[in-house]
Amino acid sequence: MEKIISLSHVTKKFEVGDGYFTALNDVSLSFNAGEFAGFVGPSGSGKTTLLNIIGSLDSPTEGEAMVMGRDIAKLSHKDSAKLRNLHIGFIFQVFNLLPVYTVFENVEFALLLQDVPKEERKKAVMEALEWVGLESMANKRPDKLSGGEGQRVAIARAMVKRPKILLADEPTANLDSANAHAILKTMKTLNKELGTTFLFSTHDEKVMAYLDRTVSLKDGKVVSDVANKDQQVQA
Amino acid sequence: MKLSFQLAYRNLIGAGLRTWLNVGILTFTFLVIIFYNGLLDGWNQQAKRDAINWEFGYGQFHHKFYEPYNPFTLQDAHGKFNVKETKGLTPLLIRQASIYPNGRMLSITLKGLPKNQRALKIPIGNLGKHLGAIPVAIGKRMANAANLSIGDEITLRWRDKNGTFDATNVVVATIFNTTISTVDQGQIWMTLEDLWRITGLKNEATILIADTQFKDTEFEDWKYISQDKLLKNINDIIEVERASARIVYFMLLAIALLAIFDTQVLSVFRRQKEIGTYIALGMTRTQVTGLFTIEGSMYSLFSMLVGAIIGVPLFWYLADKGISFGSVTADMGIGLGDRIYPSFSPELLISSALVVIISATIVSFVPAHKIANMNPVTALKGKLQ
Repeated sequence: MEKIISLSHVTKKFEVGDGYFTALNDVSLSFNAGEFAGFVGPSGSGKTTLLNIIGSLDSPTEGEAMVMGRDIAKLSHKDSAKLRNLHIGFIFQVFNLLPVYTVFENVEFALLLQDVPKEERKKAVMEALEWVGLESMANKRPDKLSGGEGQRVAIARAMVKRPKILLADEPTANLDSANAHAILKTMKTLNKELGTTFLFSTHDEKVMAYLDRTVSLKDGKVVSDVANKDQQVQA
Repeated sequence: MKLSFQLAYRNLIGAGLRTWLNVGILTFTFLVIIFYNGLLDGWNQQAKRDAINWEFGYGQFHHKFYEPYNPFTLQDAHGKFNVKETKGLTPLLIRQASIYPNGRMLSITLKGLPKNQRALKIPIGNLGKHLGAIPVAIGKRMANAANLSIGDEITLRWRDKNGTFDATNVVVATIFNTTISTVDQGQIWMTLEDLWRITGLKNEATILIADTQFKDTEFEDWKYISQDKLLKNINDIIEVERASARIVYFMLLAIALLAIFDTQVLSVFRRQKEIGTYIALGMTRTQVTGLFTIEGSMYSLFSMLVGAIIGVPLFWYLADKGISFGSVTADMGIGLGDRIYPSFSPELLISSALVVIISATIVSFVPAHKIANMNPVTALKGKLQ
């Protein structure tokens, strides 16, 4: 299996007043392409910080974070933007859809940044909306969507460029149980069909039940790293 | 770039009233700048045109002793000229004199132009012949000041070439209307032939006025004053007016730009998550700066559009019908007609548009630059202070 993410002795400290808060403390992990894994733990355990470093939105204070062969700490702003643009998709807790764009345009946005030709864009966007079952809502604005629909649009936006890595930060936190399961199923299917590596940050047991691998964090340290052989998924 | 324009357009339209308030004030500023400058340009053009037609022609030769601002030089400021050598030049003889209307004495400047002259619009050709009195032309201001009407006879007293006082009656044959007060107030015009006859200064002039036929030549005892130099005073006055107008429209522009700046700064706080999302989706800092700068600049483009909708018919009407300034126009020290016809040249429109676009872009860039340097994680959390 191809190693797509490798974290070696990663530490992240944030300045707080006169001192520092250590969000990650000597974390060493690696992920292979196509994994469906998640970071779990209480608030402040470092889950989101870890996702941000892997997503090149932040860089470690110490240690080395290699993503697709690139050292995150050494990337320029332009190069990290390029890495995100081409290879990393994000799904956020509050969806973060662009309010002035339609569903179609929100999904299309990622491809516009890549200068994909119009016809190809249209085809890819409609395909992504089919994956999440929203092709009939292409012309709706985000404010007309339910929470579940909004998150599905966010999945389509993240997946339309077929990224190598998809980072989802508490993706089900604002969803009811039925919507959460529907979205997780969709993501699991996409993981299998497209081979995208999915990394979650969550403390939602529904999500944990879908994960192939669960990395537990506490106070910025990895306390366990377990492969889930028998998933307890409830439809 | 296209994406930034598209997104900026959507964001502005989506912002609704906030956008239209900014656009409204910027449009007002844009229209005021164009109106003020158009008015000054129209005034400038009219003043220059009238000054050329009524006073300066296309340049002048002044007798070596003549100083326009020193009336004491007039006694000696005259000399002979050779008619054959002065093609394209019209002689003007100037003398000091007095008139006695209604028992008062008024010092005046007596001017003579050839009856068939075409260099100036002074209606010398209309004077005709009158028995017993020399026909003269005066301007409206002079007629009002001396309480004179057409047909009135007054006594004129002057010095001849030897300095001897002489007097005769003159009759007001025509009263002309001009915007140029310096050919009107305190002036009496007669034919050069009459002035030569009564002063004994035959074939002499104080000024030779060039017309379009004049070919550049030099004459001994005469100094050439170019048209540009003659118009310098008008240009200076217009420049002073323009400077005070600039203060007004820079204040307006500052208010409009402050509104845009405030809106853009507010965007930093209000749209942090959106900005974080752009960065997470792969936008570079330059692209984010570009997006928000374009968004700010787009206020100016919208204001051009709204300005065109309001301004084109309004300015068209004003340029066609003119603006009446009524009785305040008489004594400005510069020709000012009863109506001023603003002139809205393409240069004026383009330069005003550029001023508005460039300044809106500059004030948009500053907060946009701040936005682009925002930590994306902080932006996504919406925690920027």
